[in-house]
Amino acid sequence: MDDIERLVNNLSQDVQAVKPVPHPILLSLRWLAAAFGYLVIALVISGVRPDLGLQLNHPWFVAEIAMLAAILITTASSAALLSFPDLHQQRALAFAPAGIFALFVLVIVCAWQGDSPPAPLPLHSFECTLSILGISLLPTAAIFYVMRRFASTHPGLSGTTAVLFAFGIGALWLRLYESNDSILHVIEWHYLPMIAVGLSGLWLGKRLLRW
Amino acid sequence: MADQDDSLEVLMKQSLAGDQRAYAALLQATTRLLRPFLSKRLSFANEVDDLMQEILISIHKARHTYDGDRPYKPWAYAIAKFRLQDHLRAYYSDQLRHAVDFDELEECLHEPVTESVMSYESISGEVEKLPEKQATILRLMHQEGYTAKEVAAKIGMNESAVKVAAHRAYKVLRERLER
Repeated sequence: MDDIERLVNNLSQDVQAVKPVPHPILLSLRWLAAAFGYLVIALVISGVRPDLGLQLNHPWFVAEIAMLAAILITTASSAALLSFPDLHQQRALAFAPAGIFALFVLVIVCAWQGDSPPAPLPLHSFECTLSILGISLLPTAAIFYVMRRFASTHPGLSGTTAVLFAFGIGALWLRLYESNDSILHVIEWHYLPMIAVGLSGLWLGKRLLRW
Repeated sequence: MADQDDSLEVLMKQSLAGDQRAYAALLQATTRLLRPFLSKRLSFANEVDDLMQEILISIHKARHTYDGDRPYKPWAYAIAKFRLQDHLRAYYSDQLRHAVDFDELEECLHEPVTESVMSYESISGEVEKLPEKQATILRLMHQEGYTAKEVAAKIGMNESAVKVAAHRAYKVLRERLER
């Protein structure tokens, strides 16, 4: 009996009934529900920006919030698909966040062009990055904990989408909490750090999602 | 072919329900399916066998991510490809770690390695303790008198790989004999 036959015998003798993991759509809906709950709790604790009603009349602000929501939805579904070895055989959907990020950049550029005369820069700067980081740590830990139960064959990419999902929650929270109209500040201290930290998910994924 | 594909999905569904026979049959069928894929990409049969075992273990560990409602083959191939990439990455990083500096090699190649005060016979005991490939190369070059080029042709390696292997063997022998 050769080694492979012996291994097949051992594995088949050990096999027990296994419940398959949920479908990726269900999985991403669960993650989105948890993210929504977390966002609501964070906003209840911190409070929403006093001028939110007024801001919702500005089309570029609404577009920005809609794009952040779209980033959350696509990164959640992408992270769920990437948790399966074969991406649940829906490769195109797994890479959907790339298109949404391109649209997001377009919206931000348009909002920047529309910011005339430019809104005054707030006095604070890196505090916003730290706030997003603080809010995003728990979702990052939670999503990595869940994803480790799966079997990703793209650990780097899975890590990136997971971190972007978690930091999307933080970025959305801050936009709904902080009274700030300066799009330059938002780009510099909200979104660029969010993308930079998202790229660090590549490293994190390769270390934490190996199996 | 369609029947065979269907049967893999059915076997996996039964395996997920805890059916040991179905699982053994599935793993055997997977081995038959993946062997040509690996053989095309790896040079040695023992490498294929080692990697096949890793893939079967990975399939076992990841079986909860398959629900039986989508084709089995792409799922199994995705795991096989992932493990193959891991294997090749480890192989090449190992090669780089043990790479010999060409300058060092150049200096050594000018040395009269075939004309030594020490005969091959006097150190043949030490040579036999070397890894099999290195021992074979030294035996062919120094006992049977083949050139590096002829040895390369004889054992199916390229000439520079033979020289590198011989160089490593000389280094090991020198260290052992100087002790």
